[in-house]
Amino acid sequence: MSTQQPRPAKQPWSRSNAAQRREIIAASVLPLIVTAAIYWILKIDYTVALIGVFLPLQVLSAAAVGLRAFGRRGIWDALLLVLTIFLSANVLVLLASVLASVIGKGFGALSSQFFLQNNIYVSTTTSLEYGGVGHAILGSLIVVAITTLLAVPLGISIAVFLTQSQSRLRGPVRTFTQAISGLPSVVSGLFILSIMPYLHLQHVGFAGALALFPLMLPTIARVAEEALRLVPADLRMAALALGAPNYRAFFKVILPAAKTGIMTALLLGLARVVGETAPLVLTLGSNNSTNLNPFDGGMASLPRYIYSFVNTKYQTSQERAWGAALVLLMVVGLLFGAARVLGRKKSLKTKASKATKKGNR
Amino acid sequence: MANELATASTLHTEDVSVWFGDRQVLDKVSLTFPANQVTALIGPSGCGKSTFLRTLNRMHELIPGAGLAGAVYLDGKDIYGENVDAVDVRINIGMVFQKPNPFPTMSIKENILSGLKLSGRKIGDSEELVETSLRRASIWNEVKDRLDDQALSLSGGQQQRLCIARSLAMNPQVLLMDEPCSALDPGSTRRIEETIEELSDSMTIVIVTHNMQQAQRVSHQTAFFLADDNTPGGVVEFGSTEDVFNRPVDARTNDYVNGHFG
Ligand SMILES: Nc1ncnc2c1ncn2[C@@H]1O[C@H](COP(=O)(O)OP(=O)(O)OP(=O)(O)O)[C@@H](O)[C@H]1O
Ligand SMILES: [Mg+2]
Repeated sequence: MSTQQPRPAKQPWSRSNAAQRREIIAASVLPLIVTAAIYWILKIDYTVALIGVFLPLQVLSAAAVGLRAFGRRGIWDALLLVLTIFLSANVLVLLASVLASVIGKGFGALSSQFFLQNNIYVSTTTSLEYGGVGHAILGSLIVVAITTLLAVPLGISIAVFLTQSQSRLRGPVRTFTQAISGLPSVVSGLFILSIMPYLHLQHVGFAGALALFPLMLPTIARVAEEALRLVPADLRMAALALGAPNYRAFFKVILPAAKTGIMTALLLGLARVVGETAPLVLTLGSNNSTNLNPFDGGMASLPRYIYSFVNTKYQTSQERAWGAALVLLMVVGLLFGAARVLGRKKSLKTKASKATKKGNR
Repeated sequence: MANELATASTLHTEDVSVWFGDRQVLDKVSLTFPANQVTALIGPSGCGKSTFLRTLNRMHELIPGAGLAGAVYLDGKDIYGENVDAVDVRINIGMVFQKPNPFPTMSIKENILSGLKLSGRKIGDSEELVETSLRRASIWNEVKDRLDDQALSLSGGQQQRLCIARSLAMNPQVLLMDEPCSALDPGSTRRIEETIEELSDSMTIVIVTHNMQQAQRVSHQTAFFLADDNTPGGVVEFGSTEDVFNRPVDARTNDYVNGHFG
């Protein structure tokens, strides 16, 4: 609207000049070169080179640059910086290598038929052009969806109880939730397996969902509790002072303010159960064909599929397992993306309504 | 419909004493707030002004461990009476807090209408209600082009006036204000003081303030609270603002309003 030229952004707080920048680059590159040289010449172990040579060198050089630039304070800044970058780089490398190996080994198995077909008529040696994991994708989604439907309302209710009530039972409930979160997944599976006869359940999808439920519940409850706790008490007071009954103050003010945190709770809960194998092996049964009924007949699932194919010694079977692992990662990614989009829906809506209002003026 | 303002009410407390756990912090406070009058509550920090204010619209009982004795009458009816719902009390007696607390997930407009939604009442002509409420809190001109912006995009002073407007949209008979200007610049403070003066035409106002000039500018009557060491707080002097500031009866009042302690 204004005719003024935009001014270039100035950052008077950035103090580094060209000479310093050269020093920083040198301090980052030199340790790398020296380490590489020692590694090649002395043929020492890779880990030893990284931790015994590279890290000390990098720390020293960074401390030197820090000292020259900022004095004593610079040393600590530099040390912290080096350690932070080094440790996060390790995590990133770990993550990247997991992804790379799954993609590298699994990508060859992917094709549209691998997503769409099921496992009937597939034997351990059947070529990769036949059969797929469609039935296992659907099975996993159905089982996880049922678990989510059961765990989300109860988990959020627990979080609400722990944060909004003054009840004396809060302590025991919190301890109990924490105790469940330490439950090994195989025990959860065994427990459901042992009570299945009393529930008149065979090895069916619903039994699998029940076995995942104790794993998902505490994650959701605890993360949602943290999210609700972060909402300032002021807001609740403001709502109550306007004549809101407790439940409306909660649904209209507190819950919306904690929405992103609760979405995170859902995501972490999903992440916790979607790759679980042991409880499903025990309770879900298995199925080579597509079964959409969680109350009748065994159901396939991606972890179970991976588990059974990777245990054979045949090349194609192992490739199938890796392909299924990649599909599992993709499913997780899609679920995360979907939850993020849902979490952002509200702000998108207000933006859209704003845009139309502006247009009408 | 929004112009049809409720009439102001008389608020009257009788021997209100307050406890937090076993500790008594207020002792037998009896005050009368006549309709359409502005009453200032002054006194040193920690003497129980905010606590007393919260007993007037039943926000006090929300604090764990809170206790209360005595009675508070709104137009002769005890708000702590047996068949009285705290929610109805808070609808009729609005409150503005010391720190601005607009609802962060709502737009400016939604904040204004939030009271009606939260108390489950029907919204008549919302556009008109939003405009009159914002006008009465003298913030309309600043926000009329951005009603759909997030409330947190406003400055602190604007947020406080938005919170006042939010209370006004409920059309209360009494408005309680706890140091509403303590976080504001002189300009916003002056505007809120003007707002208070206009509002007293249609409602009864009780305001806690640490600013002696402000108390003298806006209020008709003043109550001076004091808590001696380790004793519960109480009212030392209560009368017309004119008298309390210029002809105080109690020596401690004289010291306080002239800035000798507190
Ligand atoms: N939630 C609470 N729990 C326990 N004691 C409290 C609580 N709120 C206030 N008190 C105590 O009650 C007394 C009065 O507090 P209050 O907040 O009413 O003072 P005030 O006059 O508003 O002070 P200020 O001018 O600093 O706001 C204080 O001694 C305080 O410690
Ligand atoms: Mg106070």
